[in-house]
Amino acid sequence: MYGTIAIATSRSRNRELIPWASGTISAILLFFIATTCIKANPFVRLDFMPVDGRGMNPQLQNPGMAFHPPNLYLGYVATAIPFAFAIAALFSRRLDAEWLGVVRRWTLLSWFFLTIGIILGMWWAYVELGWGGYWAWDPVENSSFLPWLTNTAFLHSIMIQEKRGMLRKWNVVLVVVSFLLAIFGTFITRSGVIESVHSFAQSPVGPWFATFFFLATGVTIYLVSTRLHDLEAKVELESMVSREAAFLYNNLVLVGIAFAVLWGTVFPILSEWATGNKITVGPPFFNTVNVPLGLLLLALTGIGPLIAWRRASVSNLKRQFASPALFGIVVAVALFALGMRASYSLVAYALCGFVTGTIVQEFYKGVRARQTIHEESLIPAFMHLVERNRRRYGGYIVHVGIVMLFAAFAGMAFRTENDVTLKAGETFDTRDPYGHQWRFVSQGVSTSNRPDRDVIAVGLEAFRDGKRLGIITSEKRQYLDSQHNTLFEPITEVGIRSTAKLDTYVVLAGVRGNDIAELRVTFNPLVMWVWTGGFVMMIGGLIVMWPQAERRPVQAGYAATIKASQAPAEIPVGV
Amino acid sequence: MTSRRQFFARIASGSAAIALGGGGGTSRAGAQQRGAMHDSSIVRDTTNLFAMDQSAARSITLPPKPNATPQLTPAQRDELEHRIRCQCGCTLDVFTCRTTDFSCQVSPAMHANVIGLVQGGYSAQEIIDAFVSSYGERVLMAPRKSGFNLLAWFTPGVAVVVGGVLIAAWLRRWRNEPPPPATVHAGASVDATQDELERLNAAVRGDDRE
Repeated sequence: MYGTIAIATSRSRNRELIPWASGTISAILLFFIATTCIKANPFVRLDFMPVDGRGMNPQLQNPGMAFHPPNLYLGYVATAIPFAFAIAALFSRRLDAEWLGVVRRWTLLSWFFLTIGIILGMWWAYVELGWGGYWAWDPVENSSFLPWLTNTAFLHSIMIQEKRGMLRKWNVVLVVVSFLLAIFGTFITRSGVIESVHSFAQSPVGPWFATFFFLATGVTIYLVSTRLHDLEAKVELESMVSREAAFLYNNLVLVGIAFAVLWGTVFPILSEWATGNKITVGPPFFNTVNVPLGLLLLALTGIGPLIAWRRASVSNLKRQFASPALFGIVVAVALFALGMRASYSLVAYALCGFVTGTIVQEFYKGVRARQTIHEESLIPAFMHLVERNRRRYGGYIVHVGIVMLFAAFAGMAFRTENDVTLKAGETFDTRDPYGHQWRFVSQGVSTSNRPDRDVIAVGLEAFRDGKRLGIITSEKRQYLDSQHNTLFEPITEVGIRSTAKLDTYVVLAGVRGNDIAELRVTFNPLVMWVWTGGFVMMIGGLIVMWPQAERRPVQAGYAATIKASQAPAEIPVGV
Repeated sequence: MTSRRQFFARIASGSAAIALGGGGGTSRAGAQQRGAMHDSSIVRDTTNLFAMDQSAARSITLPPKPNATPQLTPAQRDELEHRIRCQCGCTLDVFTCRTTDFSCQVSPAMHANVIGLVQGGYSAQEIIDAFVSSYGERVLMAPRKSGFNLLAWFTPGVAVVVGGVLIAAWLRRWRNEPPPPATVHAGASVDATQDELERLNAAVRGDDRE
């Protein structure tokens, strides 16, 4: 489907690339069709007649599950189109602005769906699984994150290629790696080589995917290595302090995180192979390794837009950095004064402040300029600013979402967990991370039988600083089929009270005797900002992607003029 | 810890699947048992989202130290359980699994072992060591920073630092090379004088940076 759309929409513009691209797409399709026909036919019949279908695993009966897999799928599949065009470019030795246009659009699409898919997956895990978080560095989570990281890196580095004609080799490699990582992710999910909570999706297609992965990798390595010379950069960098350099470091960090995640994911295999020692590489590893890299990335998110292209002067830097840096410092000092002492979190919030300052400053300057030039009032000026330069300001809106995510992640450092056992009427007192006094009063254990499930529920009446907030209910459910046989394992229905500052997360772990509830009460700060941030990123992505059909010819001419003026020496203009 | 399961089994009328008792059978065995009780049931497997191994717990007990007093507070014990991995296949740590998953019998058993060792006066490190000597290093949520595992911990950092140094060196080399002469390529379709190009250049840069 994607293949058809991609070829149909770009046929006229990329005559020389299309045969190679459609060939590559066909080869990929052939592989997947062969897999479903020969190795994992989805229509195979059971060898007995079931009385009744089993229905869906109740943990998957959640609205998030209706959207999370299709979005991830769309994201994964969309990596195939840029890959096909990359292969086509390598075969035909043509890598120009037209190529960039197609590949950028499809990468953006892939990025967009992966973002939505990942965020929805986090939401599902958080509300449904009951372990109290949204990201566990599970191998399959990681394998959705990997192509997202390389896509993100590509969407940044491609700007350098557009503006300066540099990094061609690197961009091709990123495009190809995104696709290979998507295949690798499918391989991990399907083969079960690595222990994962997603291994329910195991099927015997592992070797097929491994073969395909190695084949695709081999072809790409051959093509890239034999065509290195054709992809030589046409222009050189002028300064260590320039936006190009910032983008290079941005790419380094994104790919570094991707490498760290991949490394941690496959290290158990490596370790077992090298030393025979079975080990677990769990969340503590990924957090330790990735937190510094993530903070570096956040810093670059703020620095990048402030540095001029080509070469930044000292006065320019001072003027650009003054207010955002000041804002970041103010945030850190304020939080320190309020009693925050965790150094990573302080750094994270200072950087969040800095990046926010950067984005606000960019919008402020843009709006002021419009107000002066076009004599528009505030709101129209803002709207026109975004509308006229969707890529830039849509990108900043995505950055706003990223800041929200980082703020939420940093907040999770302050989560507190309580393992509680309560009879009816008993109370549990504790403090939340903000220092508020909470009291929970158990309403006792109640049971009920529904047509499709048996339920045990416990309600906790919650008070904060003496003020009643309502009852938070957590359930255990055992689903039944029409014969009243149990279906699946019992599952947890988490009780969540969500506010912008804090989620109160109640899990009924089990019931002892008739009336003793074993509960876990968790305070998760700022979780709502993960979903909000994800939504903002989606909006930003939409703004960037929204077609600008009528203005496109004008823009193309403009881009060519920039190249002509900035790099008159070598760039073939107007290709 | 089985009593809560028995309770649940009672309200889930007619099912023997949950009252597996004592961590003995696997879920598949439970399903067969149930199949025998209900002829109409042809459900062959109590699939969870992952294949659960209910018999994965091993008994880890050590004789209490003389005059043993617990060296860990309950909070420290919970923190310790965050570093030990439940072996049922859930990929969670023992604390999270036992406070989340009703049907897992492995994490409560491991929790009981931890409590026993804490009561016996063992330190956090000694408890960790006892678990590792029985289960192997896979029982830890993250590999120890020693031996071959150092590779796991330091490769990503080293890779990024090396990458950063390479980029810096690259940038330096580029900067030191003289910039290419600013002449228009012969085939380029730019119809402008050098002066016009420079003005355009300035305008474009200014536009980009306000």
